[in-house]
Amino acid sequence: MTKARRYDAIIIGGGHNGLVAAAYLARAGRKTLVLERRPLLGGAAVTEEIFPGFKFSVFSYVVSLLRPEIIRDLELPKHGLQILPLESTVTPMDNGDYLASWADPDESRRELERHSRRDAEAAVVFGRLMHHMAMAVKPIIGMVPPDPSSLSRSDLSSLVKLGGHMRSLGAERFHALHKLMTMSSADYLDEWYEFDPLKATKSASGIIGTFLGPRSPGSAYVLLHHYMGEIDGAFRAWGFQKGGTGAISESIASAARAHGAEIRTDAAVDRVLVRNGRATGVALSNGDQIDAAVVVSSLDPRHTFLDLVGEAELPGELVDAVKRYKFRGSSGKVNLALSGLPRFTCMPGPGRHLRGAMSISPSVEYLERAYDDAKYGEFSRNPYMDIVIPSMIDPGMAPPGQHVMSIFVQYAPYHINGGWTDAKREAFGNAVIRTLARYAPNIESLILHKQVLTPADIEQITGLSEGNIFQGELALQQLFFLRPAAGWAKYRTPIRGYWQCGAGTHPGGGIMGASGRLAALQIVGTK
Amino acid sequence: MSQTGPARRFDAIVIGAGTNGLVAAAALAREGRRVLVVERSADVGGQSVVREFAPGFSAPSSIDAGWVPPVVTKGLGMTSPPSVKPDISVAVALRDGGFLSLATDAFTAADAIRVRSTRDAERWAPFAHRIRRLATFLSALYQIPAPDVENHSFRELLPLLRVGRQLRGLGRADMSELLRILPMSVQDLLDDTFEWGPLKAAVGVGGVRDTRQGPRSGGTSFILLHYLIGAPVGGVRARAWWRDTPDAFSSAVADVAHRHGVLVRTNAGVARILVRDDAVQGVALSSGEEIGAPVVISTADPARTLLRLIDPVWLDPEFLRAVGNIKFRGCTAVVQYALGDIPRVPGLNNPTQALASVVSLTDNLDALERAYDAAKYGRVSAQPHVEITVPSLRWPTLAPAGRHVLVARVQYAPHHLRGGATWDDDRSDDLAGAVTAAIGRVSPGFASNVLHRAVLTPDDLETRFGLTEGAVTQGELTLDQILFMRPVAGWGRYAMPIAGLYLGGSGTHPGPGVVGGSGWLAAQRVLSDAKAGGKR
Repeated sequence: MTKARRYDAIIIGGGHNGLVAAAYLARAGRKTLVLERRPLLGGAAVTEEIFPGFKFSVFSYVVSLLRPEIIRDLELPKHGLQILPLESTVTPMDNGDYLASWADPDESRRELERHSRRDAEAAVVFGRLMHHMAMAVKPIIGMVPPDPSSLSRSDLSSLVKLGGHMRSLGAERFHALHKLMTMSSADYLDEWYEFDPLKATKSASGIIGTFLGPRSPGSAYVLLHHYMGEIDGAFRAWGFQKGGTGAISESIASAARAHGAEIRTDAAVDRVLVRNGRATGVALSNGDQIDAAVVVSSLDPRHTFLDLVGEAELPGELVDAVKRYKFRGSSGKVNLALSGLPRFTCMPGPGRHLRGAMSISPSVEYLERAYDDAKYGEFSRNPYMDIVIPSMIDPGMAPPGQHVMSIFVQYAPYHINGGWTDAKREAFGNAVIRTLARYAPNIESLILHKQVLTPADIEQITGLSEGNIFQGELALQQLFFLRPAAGWAKYRTPIRGYWQCGAGTHPGGGIMGASGRLAALQIVGTK
Repeated sequence: MSQTGPARRFDAIVIGAGTNGLVAAAALAREGRRVLVVERSADVGGQSVVREFAPGFSAPSSIDAGWVPPVVTKGLGMTSPPSVKPDISVAVALRDGGFLSLATDAFTAADAIRVRSTRDAERWAPFAHRIRRLATFLSALYQIPAPDVENHSFRELLPLLRVGRQLRGLGRADMSELLRILPMSVQDLLDDTFEWGPLKAAVGVGGVRDTRQGPRSGGTSFILLHYLIGAPVGGVRARAWWRDTPDAFSSAVADVAHRHGVLVRTNAGVARILVRDDAVQGVALSSGEEIGAPVVISTADPARTLLRLIDPVWLDPEFLRAVGNIKFRGCTAVVQYALGDIPRVPGLNNPTQALASVVSLTDNLDALERAYDAAKYGRVSAQPHVEITVPSLRWPTLAPAGRHVLVARVQYAPHHLRGGATWDDDRSDDLAGAVTAAIGRVSPGFASNVLHRAVLTPDDLETRFGLTEGAVTQGELTLDQILFMRPVAGWGRYAMPIAGLYLGGSGTHPGPGVVGGSGWLAAQRVLSDAKAGGKR
């Protein structure tokens, strides 16, 4: 066993939140070390050449939520951040027609008018409202959650500030926000729209990464969560990182290194060393121990508390809260290496639609039935899919003339009847291809290689408990001052010097980085 | 209508002689107002009215006493009639035979649970106490107008502070717990606490009561708490019933109203609420008669009042759109049976007590969820959730001597059926057949014991009580339709956008099951508006 030199801060986990935290700590002059279990950085934001010549954003595949202040503070463009806009979403319909949304708002409006004049009008007002709603929650996303049951001066002043913010919204926007926080996305959209494929495609944002159906109350919030993204100041813009999402992680790592942080891969942490209720460093699985004044975990709450520290060191209430914290991953991923471009029946031929997303969400009932399968412990026979072909925008991802296709799939429940087996994974992959073939019949003949990832695989590879891509469901009872647990939402833990900075803390998942940043600012602000 | 409108004959007209209407009328009359109540049916008492459904057999459509907020009885200077708190809260029929009988006494209940799970038995009493504390907090909030983000007048600040203090008085842990639990699904709440399915089903059914939601739907934990207000600790299902008659409370309120000079006219359905120059003039009855009054409190549901009884020219299109978006979604049906004999239920302990309370035929939450799945797609559940009560054990006069009445509450029977289908006789018969078969599984020979049966589908409830979509809630109790969002955002304070028009039914805060609560608060609003000299 070797005793290494002492650090000011050790970050456990080199996912994007861990790297953001490291960069901010290093920028504040802290001698910082990042320890990543895998040979590559990024956590769920990684690019890997799974098949020779074909590079995949294996898990997380599009970006929008990365906080602009982080991009600015860390000068990420200088370190390689380059987001290519994802300009369209096309929903193939069962009757052979399609519904498209294009980069040009006028064109999108004309397209929607083709299906429903009323919806085209409603879309203008809806878009404006969602923009206001995203603006309304922006300060909440950027704040450390106050504890409403606390009487401390800082909590009370945060609460007063929050109350003031709510009042400043005015009744109308406050009520609209209340509806978004509590309704189902289908009910919410029913109040606005009539055209079913439109409602389905929009409500799909409300179920991503969550074990809810479009008719489940609470899904409207997830919808809003996905509206919060900003690219160059434009809300609700999604894009690809050049080189895949792993390049985002690399750019943050590069910024961290530039500020002096040290980053080690193949360095799995076995446990956090605790003496007299205080973290003193970490022990690696190879037996090495590294001392540090501060230890920060970017892993999810289950790992952060139950695995790295253990129940004995923690108050019983927190242990109970972490144990009942809901993960239940609900999504899978299918990555395909293709010999050519798919031909969608609704839009045959290579067109600009292949540069955007194809959404398999023909009706709200289709999505709801997909959820019904999952509720009772099966993967969806006819799943929701969000399909992109990154090589269309970033040709470097595949050999010339060939392509990579990324298919995000719901629902694939972690807790599947009988557990995930190879046979079940195979059947799940087949259901995905079969469903896709209904809309793009040539797909099967194009497949060179196929990677099917179940939530169990996601858990096994990335360490995300139950394969939940948000480090825990974005349900109202697990947000803000309750994320991950009441009383422990300010990035601290009951162990002095031990902090949390993963997406399992406020404000949560997506390639956002906000948790990492807020945690680092809290740590720096604490002597 | 004449140029000047009908002559003013009353200070206020209340539409509907259900408990809310009677409470509102009595509250105004106590302050010296001349009040007329108009009721379209022949009886006073709304859903607690006992009706004959077969020769010699009668039943009310609602058998739960609900919770009477102290502010109502105190305000009206009355005492509640005597009530009975059951010893058995609910008995759940188990698939593998036998019953789980949950006594309201937590220790007795724990003994029954211990047979199957010692862990759950240990957790029962703490759980029962915890949800009771959380429900008690709601009871404070339910006796004041719902706080909103703006427009707090000084008068309202005091009671609000009291609620705030009460919330803090819950203690740190409970306070966070309340905020955590409200948006949760009742399934998650129960999965976090218990392991034994039938126990979860015993409690969980309360979370989907009269709503088109399943146990996995967010916000159903709130519904559970909502209907637990006023229940004894451990009384997770049946709260209480009035000892003497099902409508004892509404009769008592009617007496108070009469004493203060309230006039009640039955068989007097309102065809329109008369409006001129953005102000209420009175009502026009279906008979054509017009009655003048500067104030109208409608206890009909918001959609019926605002979309059916009022000429839309007086209302803003945005407001009308919001009212049109209220989710009603009635999905509860009632089947009433006239029985030759008390149903025999082998294996049920204390059958007389259990049947007087509630016997639930659903022993797992997945079955309840599947029943909901059907309704989600506009179908009647193939295997509906059924719970039965024999009200003639509570009130023997409901049936001839030696005979009995059994009432089955059934979910889900959605008002909106797929593909525009309607609730015709065949469909009602199918539903009743499924219910009879379900009861037959716990009571062998039940079908041959039935002398007569009557079905109340959501369609029937709509026709009989004027409830939009047959929703006995007057608007689903989802989190986006409670407190300041009830009936619609921005209009949660009883006064509607027409001067003199008020809503006072359970479509307003605090909603269904809180007896007279809405009517009382609506009347208080009328009185405070008058004091403010018509200012809003």
